[in-house]
Amino acid sequence: MGEFLHRHKGLTPYLLLAPGMLWLTIFFLVPMGFLGYQSLESGLFPHFHFSWEFSNFSSALSGYHTQLIRSFVYAGIATVACLVLAYPLVYWIAFRAGPWRNLFLLIIVAPFFVTYLVRTLAWLNILADEGPVVRILRDIHVLAPDGRLLATTFAVIAGITYNFFPFMALPLYVSLEQIDARLLEAAKDLYSSPTQAFLRVTLPLSAPGIVAGTLLTFIPAAGDFINAALLGTPNQAMIGNVIQAKFLESLDYPTAASLSFILMGTILIALLVYARVVGPEKLTG
Amino acid sequence: MTTAAEALPTRARVGVMSRAWRFVARHALTVYALLAVAYLLLPIVIVILFSFNHPTGRFNYVWNRFTFDNWLNWNSVLGIQGAVQTSLEIAALATLVATALGTLIALALVRHRFFGWGLTSLIIFLPMATPEIVMGSSLLTLFLNDQNTIQLGFWTIFIAHVMFTISFVVVTVKARLIGFDRHLEEAAMDLGANEWKTFQKVTLPLIAPAMLAAGLLGFALSIDDFVITYLNAGPVQTFPIFVWGIARVAVPPQVNVVASAIFLVAIALGLGNVIWQYRSARRTRNQAVE
Amino acid sequence: MNERMTRDQLLRRGAVGVTFLSVPGLLAACGGGGGSKSAGSSKVNKVLEFANWPYYMDTPATLKAAGIHKPTTPKEFEKQTGIKVNYYEEVNSNPEYFAKVQGRLSKGEGIGRDIIVSTDNDRFLGDYISNKWAQKLDKSLIPNIKNLIPAQQHPPFDPHRDYSLPWASGMDGIGWNDKVTDPVTSVKQLFEDPKLKGRVGVWNSMGDTLGLVMLENGDDPAKVTNASFNRAIARVQKAVNSGQIRKFYGNDYAAVLAKGDLAATMAWSGDIANLADPHVHWLVPTQGGIIWTDNMIIPLGGSVPTASTYMNFMYEPMISAQWAVGANYISSVKNVKQDAVKLDPKAASNNLTFPTDKTLSQMHQNDPAMLRNPDYNKKWLAVQGQ
Repeated sequence: MGEFLHRHKGLTPYLLLAPGMLWLTIFFLVPMGFLGYQSLESGLFPHFHFSWEFSNFSSALSGYHTQLIRSFVYAGIATVACLVLAYPLVYWIAFRAGPWRNLFLLIIVAPFFVTYLVRTLAWLNILADEGPVVRILRDIHVLAPDGRLLATTFAVIAGITYNFFPFMALPLYVSLEQIDARLLEAAKDLYSSPTQAFLRVTLPLSAPGIVAGTLLTFIPAAGDFINAALLGTPNQAMIGNVIQAKFLESLDYPTAASLSFILMGTILIALLVYARVVGPEKLTG
Repeated sequence: MTTAAEALPTRARVGVMSRAWRFVARHALTVYALLAVAYLLLPIVIVILFSFNHPTGRFNYVWNRFTFDNWLNWNSVLGIQGAVQTSLEIAALATLVATALGTLIALALVRHRFFGWGLTSLIIFLPMATPEIVMGSSLLTLFLNDQNTIQLGFWTIFIAHVMFTISFVVVTVKARLIGFDRHLEEAAMDLGANEWKTFQKVTLPLIAPAMLAAGLLGFALSIDDFVITYLNAGPVQTFPIFVWGIARVAVPPQVNVVASAIFLVAIALGLGNVIWQYRSARRTRNQAVE
Repeated sequence: MNERMTRDQLLRRGAVGVTFLSVPGLLAACGGGGGSKSAGSSKVNKVLEFANWPYYMDTPATLKAAGIHKPTTPKEFEKQTGIKVNYYEEVNSNPEYFAKVQGRLSKGEGIGRDIIVSTDNDRFLGDYISNKWAQKLDKSLIPNIKNLIPAQQHPPFDPHRDYSLPWASGMDGIGWNDKVTDPVTSVKQLFEDPKLKGRVGVWNSMGDTLGLVMLENGDDPAKVTNASFNRAIARVQKAVNSGQIRKFYGNDYAAVLAKGDLAATMAWSGDIANLADPHVHWLVPTQGGIIWTDNMIIPLGGSVPTASTYMNFMYEPMISAQWAVGANYISSVKNVKQDAVKLDPKAASNNLTFPTDKTLSQMHQNDPAMLRNPDYNKKWLAVQGQ
């Protein structure tokens, strides 16, 4: 076999790629094609027929643009929250935790090892309307006397932030950890204050991590529906909830399929804009 | 009356102020870090705690009394054992296959420049940018349509899990391959080994850690996956699907037990890795000293 | 060997019963399954896979509370026939369950269940039967079918009771948690009391929710017009927009109500009693309630003999009486109240499980035409944000 490969060296990459790419083609690309086909169908379950129904897209957009926009707003806020919350923590781990850094990294990732649903259900428990946390908040007047934390926009965004925290923290850590401490020493030697050193050296060098983290957090968050389902009311429904309901409850496959493509398309557009702003090299690194 | 700080000449005063500020800042950061860690671990603590609870009725959210019963009879709830078994089997199988396929792709992408390189990279990237609900439902249209009917179950879940894991494996292994020192392989080949032997004895051991990391990541993703699995599972239940179903009525403490067990095993493995790295680092240091 | 004897006796008794059935019934009994692509096995299994709603079975706790010292009906069934009941409380709402199983059923595949339960005030029960996804009952194994009350013998979706039998009837009303609120007595209060904002639940079932709302509006849920429908939808929409309604629930409202996250919610009569929580109560709204019946059907791939044997068991008068007292839902067996009193004297005054004529007169039924109207269904989904 070594002989064969030697003579057909150009084939090697294709042979290496073949099994994996075949899998992805059959089970990712082809289904996307089917989904596209479905998005142009019309009719009621179970009698759909293909009819180049492009109006599915326009009616989906006009009917559900609220949820679409809301998803991006929630995902955006959650991503920023993750960044703001994670950065100091990760900075501390990278620069101050010393020999314990791997332990703390483990702790950051730890929540990830408890099933997603069980984690979110635990929050339902902690933030219960009649539970201790809410009662304390009411007593100290942070919440109104009949206020609550669950079934609010706050709860949904908080849930998304919590559940996607590791996606932001890990890329941030990877890039912060690679920063050579000597660069910071050099900055100090050149009379910069700690704040300046941070703004001029650390922050720019951690940029790839920030970019990677925001992408890895924002994209799945935009399509999430579990947090909105468990922690919100119908007024917090995200586009993921609508797609899920259309697929699983109303069995309205054409609308669901077109909504799926609209969601993916919007994410891709957001990605392109982001890449333009941030600089395309940062994305592929 | 002037304070001691005010009595100092200006530059020294600035020095004291900035030192004081740095003290606060340094410890504020530590305090923040510890608070953040507490926030991250709070639900986990609740989950583990309530796995030891003996609830009065059906609902397990008020602490009643401590018991080991739930841990001893963790499989007394109808369906839970099957669900856990299915989850573990699928995760193990899917991880193996995805790691193998993904590593091959990573090798191809890093070591060769070929026609279609960009397209391949794009196709690898797409699943990571696709919302799970879209991936799951599109896969469902492949299985259930007018032309064919594939029975939904274990193998459809397996297919789905391999599909979304491959991309993560590729990214993980690629990162390691990019920093790989080709000289080692060249040296091996200069010493007479053919490509296959070189791959076996030099390359593979050196990328093994990355493959392991990718495998662990894949395993975690598979065990925890809900959305894609839910849509393609048919009658089969994985643990997340089981939890979703039973949460509609009442979550029994045994669910907490299983979730805690998975968590503790993962933490144990992680801790083991941490300690092992610490030990080997210390050993290297000691050796350097001698 | 005892169990085998009993089963043989049952079958022999069933064979005798055949002569009392009409010709179609005879043909059905001889034919076995009902023309499904994947017929279930033709013998009685050792296990019955039964999917049902939660809070629908007598439990040791509820039997104890009623002073009945007997095993639960599933355990009694196992004792008498040797067939173990695997009981899955997995039906949370009719549209959800239908969507979950329709993929496989539409391809003629089984779903791993011998009996599933669906409600008659939703279009899906009729859909299962008209789509030929339900297998015919083996009436030769169900001689106790003669105990079915006349009111349930010829329902519109299954005029000859070939495919279904009632499991339970129940009533729509309002449940509330006294730890969080004072009694809530009307739908108007549910939708408009500012103290309840964001702590109110309704169903994702159109017939149930809109039925109660129509009654509050003074309209008749049994005769729905476009005007009365739109009035009801508008009222619900208003409550959604104002943030009054927390969520559209299936049966999962019960856990949330018990927890206290919901102060008051539209609730099903027996659920509240089954929670056995002294703080949670149920009442019929001032404007009246809706009454409905959940039915057992045998889906494709289910074992008709095993399912039929179980159905026959549940139509035994004393068994049904015990179930009714323990599950707190209304049985469709003749004279069940008299039998229940023999088990638990308090049954005589239990208006929820053995409703008096006065209570029944406050109850209404849904209009089947409303449930099948695609335009109405679309509007109902829209108000839920779907």
